Amino acid sequence: MRAWVSETVYASAAYVLASLLTFQIVMPLQNMYFPEYASRASLLFLPHGVRVLSAWLLGWRAIFALLPGVFIVFAILAGSDVLLPSRIAAMLFAVTTAPAVFYLCKILGWDLFPAPGKRACWTCVMGVGLVSSLLVSGLTNLAFGSATAEYIAYLIGDLSGLFFLMLGLHFGFMFFEKRRA
Amino acid sequence: MTEISKLAELRKLTHSMERTLGLEELSPVERDIYYAAEDLSQDESEVRTFGLIEHTLVRNVSRPTFFRALKSLVHKGYLSQSGSANRGRYVVHGPR
Repeated sequence: MRAWVSETVYASAAYVLASLLTFQIVMPLQNMYFPEYASRASLLFLPHGVRVLSAWLLGWRAIFALLPGVFIVFAILAGSDVLLPSRIAAMLFAVTTAPAVFYLCKILGWDLFPAPGKRACWTCVMGVGLVSSLLVSGLTNLAFGSATAEYIAYLIGDLSGLFFLMLGLHFGFMFFEKRRA
Repeated sequence: MTEISKLAELRKLTHSMERTLGLEELSPVERDIYYAAEDLSQDESEVRTFGLIEHTLVRNVSRPTFFRALKSLVHKGYLSQSGSANRGRYVVHGPR
C-alpha cells in the first residue's frame, strides 16, 4: 500500500512538474523564438516522457499513479471543462496508451520491462514512445477534432520530450554521483 | 520493486543512453586502454592483460593506475572478463 502511495506521489508530481516546465517555460520560449509557428502544440512536451518512463518502470500501475497528476494538469488547463467527456477521454488515453503498448510488445515476445540483471534498452523505450505518441495524438485529436498538422507537432514534441527527459535524468544522475564521490 | 531498485533501473536506462551517445565520461587512461583493447581485439576475439600493458598507448601508464582503469572499464561495461577459465582475458564491447 505504501509503495502504491509513493509511486502515485512521485509519478503524479513528476507529471505536474514536467507539464509546468512545458507550459510555463518551454512554450513561452517557443512563442518568443518561433512566433511564426502558430500551433498550440509544444515542440518539447516533457509530460510524454513521464508517461512512457512511468509505464516502463511501473507497468499497469502507472495508470493509477499518473491519474491524479494528469487530472490536476487538465484541471489547470481546462478549468471547469475538465469533466467534459472529450477531456475525460483524453485523460484516459494519456494514462493508458504507454502501458498498453509495453504490454502489447510483451505479448508479441518483446518484453521491455526492467528486471534485475536485464540490460535496459533506451532506443526500445524511444520506440514505444513513438508508437504511444502516434496513438495518443491520434486518439486525442479524434476526441478534440484537431488539424492534421497538429499530429506531426505532437509527435515531434512527444519524442523530443521523452529524449530530453532521459537526457535530463542522465545529467541529474551525473550531478548526484559527482557530489557523492 | 523498491524505490532504490526503480532508481537503479532508471540509471541503467540512462546508462544505455550515455553509451550510445558517447556521453559517458572516460578518463584519459581508461580511454587509452579501451582504444588499445579495441585495437588488439581486431586480431583476436579476446584481449589479454599482458597484451594491453605492452600496447603503445598504455606503455607509460603505471601498473596501479592501469589496473584501476581496467577495473573501472569492466564496471562500466566496456570490457568484460572472458568466460573461459583463463583469467586476465577480456572481451571488448562496443558502445551500445
